[in-house]
Amino acid sequence: MSAPGENAAGATTRIPILQAEGITKRFSGLVSVNRVSFEMYENEILGLIGPNGAGKTTLVNMISGTLKPSDGELRFEGQPIDALPPYQRAHLGICRTFQVMKPFPGMSVLENVTVGALFGRGGEKVMAKARRSAREWIDFTGLSHRVDARADSLGGPDRKRLEFAKALAMEPKLLLLDEVMAGLNAVEVEEVIELIKKMRERGVTILVIEHVIKAIRSLSDRVLVLHHGEKIAEGDPAAVLEDPRVVEAYLGRRRQ
Amino acid sequence: MRPLPLAIAAVVVVLLVFVPWLASDVMMQFAIDALLLAVLAQAWNILGGFTGYVSFGNSVFYGLGTYGAAIAMAQFHLPFWVGILLGIVLAVLCALLIGIPILRLRGPYFAIATLGLAAAMGAIVSNLPIAGSNIGLVLPLIRADTMFYELSLGLLVLCTLTVLWVSKSRFGMGLVAIREDEDAAGTMGINTTVFKIVALVLSALFTAVAGSIHAYWISFIDPASAFDPTLNVRMVIMAVFGGPGTVFGPLVGSFILSAIYEYLASSISTAAALLFGIVIVLAVIFMPRGLANMIGGVRARGPRYFLQNIRENRL
Repeated sequence: MSAPGENAAGATTRIPILQAEGITKRFSGLVSVNRVSFEMYENEILGLIGPNGAGKTTLVNMISGTLKPSDGELRFEGQPIDALPPYQRAHLGICRTFQVMKPFPGMSVLENVTVGALFGRGGEKVMAKARRSAREWIDFTGLSHRVDARADSLGGPDRKRLEFAKALAMEPKLLLLDEVMAGLNAVEVEEVIELIKKMRERGVTILVIEHVIKAIRSLSDRVLVLHHGEKIAEGDPAAVLEDPRVVEAYLGRRRQ
Repeated sequence: MRPLPLAIAAVVVVLLVFVPWLASDVMMQFAIDALLLAVLAQAWNILGGFTGYVSFGNSVFYGLGTYGAAIAMAQFHLPFWVGILLGIVLAVLCALLIGIPILRLRGPYFAIATLGLAAAMGAIVSNLPIAGSNIGLVLPLIRADTMFYELSLGLLVLCTLTVLWVSKSRFGMGLVAIREDEDAAGTMGINTTVFKIVALVLSALFTAVAGSIHAYWISFIDPASAFDPTLNVRMVIMAVFGGPGTVFGPLVGSFILSAIYEYLASSISTAAALLFGIVIVLAVIFMPRGLANMIGGVRARGPRYFLQNIRENRL
């Protein structure tokens, strides 16, 4: 087991829940993710940042299983998961949201969340119980006023709430949040930050992909930066965001 | 579902049981045909309505049910129930065999692939001596319309109860999730492959039994009528007209369309098909989401429901 990055504040004592070793994804010649290795520790929030096209979503797709890595190995709680299809990873407790929200449009909010309770890690077999726990998660995310609305009738912020409620109903151990704050105003971003903090308090380990740097700063225990598919920095948020290589990746080289 | 529709359905079923003692011979012909078509629409509904996989291959299962009964009874002189079983076995095997590769296809690609199946299966059967090659098979003649009627009614009730269970169960939630967004369904922990195959097998099973009953009732079958692709089109139209993905929509839809067609065919036989086509076109324009949706929509919004549909379709 490799040691975590030197500047991973206080993480050394904890157990890795996810280990990625040399993860690579090539799309017919184009290298989207190049030999990326990192670990996530139980109950931490890891921020994943990088300019557009850095390979962040591709990385999440490989962890959730919708894409197969061309190379490298993924371990979840010590077990290799590379051969598992997405639904089995969901049963283990790996759960994701999509950058483009994917609610089940024709289903009600309650039905959407019930699907999570029925088929996630909890895998509740009894419909009535699944509905009850779905209602609890809908309350938790503050969507109770729209419980019977069709998912495609929800506005932006409510859609995000639904996405959270669906994910939480699956009782995830590892939650991958792909740009959940995109398109939200400052107040709504604040609400989502609070929601993510509440999730962490419930013991969930969370990977946050975000362009909203304020959110990354206030949420992340550690930050990992991808650029052109490669890991260029990892560690304490304040230090990483000041790192000249990171600034350069986002803003370009400073004139001498 | 609220108890009222269920109570109404139960009363209707009880009344329907007594139809053979009241109806004329012609009425019985129509009733058996309508019941079997309703079974086909309802069975199609499991895959097409709930799972969102528009199948044009269900007539294959119908044909296999037909030939199962015909081969068992005409070639081996076995009783009817053995024929039904043989039909089920053939259809379920076929569903498993073709389901695994074909259910990987999505949307129109799935529809096109299934469309090819009926033609292929018809050609295969035409070349099998045991299936009477392209001449067909003659089953033992029996005049027992009451029996065929009650069998068809029983099958329809069974099929509808299955759909009712699907609509309320964990399994059904999985199917609807697949229909709404298959990728999201997978990442939410649904084993989409297994769910789709089970839906296809259920659909195949009921379709095959309907085929077996029809074969014994008509007592003569050939490849062209057993694997008739227009039959599949009728299943789709009836289910979609009534309301795909609902429990009673396909039933009501198929009964209404059967009645309209029968009326048109008997009163103005030459233009019946044309007028029937017009009915379908009007239905698609004014109620593209089916009768079940229309009833709810009209109750909520009145005539504006129809205007909204027209506007949404930019007509």
